[in-house]
Parts: sequence; C-alpha cells; structure tokens
Amino acid sequence: MTDVAEGSATGVDQAQRAADTRGHVPGEASMWFFVIGDLLIFGVYFVGYMYFRGQNHQLFLASQARLNVDIGAINTVVLLTSSLFVALGTAAARAGNIAAGLRGFWIGLAFGAAFPLLKMFEWIPEITAGLTPGTNLFFMYYYVMTGMHLCHVALGLVILCFVIRNLKTSIPPKISFIETGATYWHMVDVLWLVLFALLYLMR
Amino acid sequence: MAEAPKAPTAPANPATSRCRNRKLDQWIAFWSVPFFFNVFGLVFVPLSWMMPPRSPSSPTPHIVEFMHSHNLLIACLILTLAYGLAPVSNSLYLIQVKRMSVSPAFRYSMMIGAITGAIVGMLFPMFCFGLGAFRPGYSPAVLTMLYDFGYLAFIGSLGCFCVMWMAFGLAIILDENNILPKWLGYYTIWQYVTELMAAPVWIAKSGPFAWNGLMTFWFAMVLYVSWQIIVYVCIFKAIKNQPESELDNAPPQPAPAAVEVPSRAGA
Amino acid sequence: MNTRGQRILLWTAPPAVALFVLAYLVFPVFSPPLSPTLTPDQVAAFFRGNVTGILGVAILCNLIACSLVPLFAVTAVQISRAATSSPVLTYAYVICVGVGTTAFILADYCWGMAAFRPDRDPQLTSLLNDMAWFFFIAPVGTIMVQNLCFALSVYLDDRPDPIFPRWVAHFNVATVALLAPSAFSILYKSGPLAWNGPLSFTLRLTTFAVYIAVMFWALLRAVKQQGDDRVVLA
Repeated sequence: MTDVAEGSATGVDQAQRAADTRGHVPGEASMWFFVIGDLLIFGVYFVGYMYFRGQNHQLFLASQARLNVDIGAINTVVLLTSSLFVALGTAAARAGNIAAGLRGFWIGLAFGAAFPLLKMFEWIPEITAGLTPGTNLFFMYYYVMTGMHLCHVALGLVILCFVIRNLKTSIPPKISFIETGATYWHMVDVLWLVLFALLYLMR
Repeated sequence: MAEAPKAPTAPANPATSRCRNRKLDQWIAFWSVPFFFNVFGLVFVPLSWMMPPRSPSSPTPHIVEFMHSHNLLIACLILTLAYGLAPVSNSLYLIQVKRMSVSPAFRYSMMIGAITGAIVGMLFPMFCFGLGAFRPGYSPAVLTMLYDFGYLAFIGSLGCFCVMWMAFGLAIILDENNILPKWLGYYTIWQYVTELMAAPVWIAKSGPFAWNGLMTFWFAMVLYVSWQIIVYVCIFKAIKNQPESELDNAPPQPAPAAVEVPSRAGA
Repeated sequence: MNTRGQRILLWTAPPAVALFVLAYLVFPVFSPPLSPTLTPDQVAAFFRGNVTGILGVAILCNLIACSLVPLFAVTAVQISRAATSSPVLTYAYVICVGVGTTAFILADYCWGMAAFRPDRDPQLTSLLNDMAWFFFIAPVGTIMVQNLCFALSVYLDDRPDPIFPRWVAHFNVATVALLAPSAFSILYKSGPLAWNGPLSFTLRLTTFAVYIAVMFWALLRAVKQQGDDRVVLA
C-alpha cells in the first residue's frame, strides 16, 4: 500500500518539474523590464557614438588605434566563459543538482571577477599615457561607455554572490531568483560584445 | 470585586471628529508636488531661460549679458520662497518606503540625500545666478566663474541623488509588501544611472558630453522627467490604495467579544 | 520616564540661544548691518579692518551652527505624535530643518572666507559678502514650509487631548507671513526690503527669536504632557 503511495508521489514531483521548465519566462518579469530598458539606454549611446563617429571619422580612427585590443579580446573571452558557466550552473540548479549549480556559479564568478582586474591593466597605462576622457570625443565615449559597463559588471558580481549564497543556504533554492541573476549577467555579456565590436574592432 | 481595567485612550474620537478624509496630510502633501514642479519649470524656462542650459563655451559677452539679466533675480526670489516644497516632495517617497518591509536605514539614507541635494543642487546654484545680476560691476572673469559654478552645481550634482535613487530603488526591489511595483524599482535604478551619465559635465566644454550636451543633458532629461512623472502616479495609487486600518490614525478596531470556551472534560 | 531624552535636548536650547545672541551682538558685520550699496572697495576695506571680530564670530557660528537642531528634533517628535495618517509632515519638517541649517552654515563660511584673506581682489571679497548675505537672509522658504507643516499637524491632530493649543499653530502661520519679505532682499539694494532693512533684517531676526522662545515654551509643555505616552516611530 505504501509503495503505491510513494510511487504516485514521485510521479507528481516529476510532472511538476516538467511543467516548471516548459514554456515559462525565466526569472522575474521585472528583471526583463530592466534588461530591455538597459539595452535601450546603451542603444542610445551606440547610436550617438555611430553618429559622432561619422562626423569625426579620422579622429575616431586615429584614437581607436591607441586602444589595447589584446586586453579587450581577452576580456571578451573571459566574459563569454563566465556566462557559459553561469548558464551551466542555472541549468544544473533547475534540474535539482545543487552541487553542480554551485560549481558553475563559482567558476562563473571567478572569471567575472577577472574582468575589472584586466580593465585596470588597460585603463591605468592609458591614463598615465595622457589618454583621458577629456582628450577627445572618442575617448570620452570610450571611458563613459566602458565605465558604465564596468559599473554593471560590478553590480553583476554582487548579484552572482547573492545567487551563490541562495544556492548554499536555501532549501530548496529559489530558482526564479537564480534565473533573474543569470539573466542580468548575460545582459552584461551581450553589452560587452557590442561595445567591443564598436569601440575596438570597427574600422 | 476587581476593578474593570481602564479602557485605553482612543487615538481619535469617531463620534466627535469631523467626518473627513483621514489621509488629508498625505493628500495635501501630494498636491503640493505638481504645484511646486510647475513653479520650478516656469522659473527656469520661460522666466529666466536658465534652462535648457546655455553652452559652457558660450562667448564671454553672451555670458555677461545673460548673467546681468534682471529675470535671474526674480527667479531667485520665487525659488527662495518656494523651495521649501522640495522637502515635501521628497517626504512623499519616504512615507511609502516606511511602509515597506525594509530597514529604516533606507529611508534615513534618502532623507540625508534629500537634505544635501536641496542645497548643493538647488539653492546654491540658484544664488550663483542671482549674485551676478545683483551688482552690475563684476568683471567678466567673475561672472564666468559664477556661470560655471551655477550650471555645474545644477547639472553636475551627483552623489546626493545617487544615494537617494539607489536606496529608493533597492527598497522597492527588496520590499515584500509590494507597496510600489517592482518595475518602478528598476526604473529608479536608471535614475542612478542618469547621475553616472551626467558625470562627464565636469570635463567636457562642448559637444554631447557638456552640461548642455545630447548625452548628458537631453538624454538624461528624457529618462529623468519620465521617471519623475511615473513615480508620482505610482505614489498616488499607493496613497489611494492604502487601507484605512493601516493608517497611523486608524479608527480603533472594535475588540473581539470574549468567547467563553467551555472546558472539555475528557475526549 | 521616556521623555527624558526630549527634555534634555530641549534644555540645550537656552545656552544655544545665549551663544547665538552673543555672536549677533559681537559680529562686526551686523553692527550696523553692512549696506548692500557699499562698493567692492569699501567692502574689502571693511573686512580688512575687522578680521579678528569677523573670524571669531565665524568660528563660533561654525561650532554652534547646529545647536538649535535638538529643539527642532523634539518638534519633529511631537509632530509625529499628531493623529495624522502618516509621517509625511514629520519627514518634510526634518528635511526642511536640515536644508535651512546648511544654508546658515554656508553664509558663515562665506563671511569666514572673506575675512580669511583680506587682501583678495575686492571684487571677490564683495562677491563672498554678497553670497553670505544671500544665504543668511533670503532662504526663508524652508522655515516657512517647516512652520506650515507644524501648523498643519496641529490642525489635523484628531486627538481628544491635543498636543499643542491651537494658537501655537496660528502663531506658526503668522511667522510665515512675517518671514516672507526677506526673500525679496535679492531685488533691492536699499529700502526696507534690502538685506539690511527693517523688513528683511530686523523683522526676520526678531520673528525668529520670538519663534524660538514661544516654541521652547510650547514644547516643554507638550513633552511634560506626553508623560508615558509612547511615540509613533517615524
């Protein structure tokens, strides 16, 4: 009699989990509002950048040549890797594997923390060489956009820490919170890809 | 026989108090806001043309002529009479934050930010513009300095508002009582971002990042003004929907009649 | 008795007032109040000739600038006890006090700055003096609104045993009318509304002094009446 009861209980659990992962918006809707709005704000900066670049083509080209593309590229790889592990961690958490979830987020956090460090290696030599936001319009855009992005990265790292804490202490972990944090982090990554292309690569 | 315990003093006597809106203090405070913002707008735009901001690289004769304008003094006058309403408009945020499940530290941070902001971001720059017009004999160098200080303080006051919007946004996001909608919390975080966006005004003297620039002024204004309108719409709803029983001056709830539960002897 | 803190704070007001009165009497800039019609050279000469007096008062006022804050803080506590639906009036009051106090401190700084380097370009000294007067006399907006908030809390107080007698509210509203003229000091260099004139200067300072005395009395009474009544946290 008890076997049948147990069997049907696990059946209910599985059905529930399947329903959770099928056709539902990950994370909280309000975070998506924030993500889309943030993308729009940066979008206005991108459009402005393109417009002024068109007006001052030579100046921008010459200034872009002074940027450290290597560190830019490494940072891109760093963020992409970080996002990958965050995505893996999210999937693991969704499937109920807390240990794998934690691992994914820890590694994601570690890679993410490398970003600001590398940024310092990029900015400090530039500033000591006299390339400051006041140098010309390109550098103003460069510092403002990468600066705003860096603030987003810092916030993202804090959010990742809270996600890790949630995974460690909450039983069961709040999946929607984890998804919200992951969504934000992926947005930060997408923004960087566009920034990298616009500022460093586009000739 | 034991004396009946004294009934606690009622906070309000429903029989004798006039039957009026209990939330009158909140509504009076609320409706001062559109009044104040309109006065503010009229003073800065059609009266004195301080806004939209003039360019930091305006030629000196233009700066001198502008700083001598008598309308700047009238603007100062109106603002020194009206600016006490800015604290009232800030209190409306505070009373909603008080209803939230978050620590009082959030509203105290906002309060302190509001205090600082009213001076460094409003009264002081206003006087910079008034000073130049008060006395005709100042040299162009002095007038240019006042012009710079006025605009930089108005548009470049960052930190006091950073703390306000960060505390407000976080409070809304973390609030478990859902006093204000969560998306408003994120929108308030963008207010913080507009302060970051305004930082370049301390560097650029022309172009899109100057204090009259496309990115630092016009774009920031689009975000700021829309937020300002929306937040007060949300606060209007919050005041309206606040249940009477939650008010500080709520009518006393009738005590539930004591029910004698007969003791059960045995099962 | 849980009103001990309030009573202690209230009793810091009389010594504070004594120090403010001392500062006022000793301040060279006020005896007589400098005229706005002085030329920059005359202003510079004045500051050069009164460095010690001006700096002494500037330092004193820097120290005592916030010494009336406890009285205002007790007022805020009593406002929060009124039977209104929310602490909106309490918060507005607190912010107004903070802003007004800051303006006073800035006036003090400007006079201090002017006296610090008396051989500055006379235009700059005159500018600092103007700025100081502006900050000292003109920003009546916050005092007006804070008194209105206080009056409103009394009018809206639903309690069967009101915290303050009605006339204290009427008095506060009257001060609003009496303080308002000072804002006009920005427009005039002579006459009753100029910053040294009877309306902007004498009336304003007298009103403020009487106001502090009346409020001190009213608050002592209110706090005594509060007894063990617990206060709503704001």
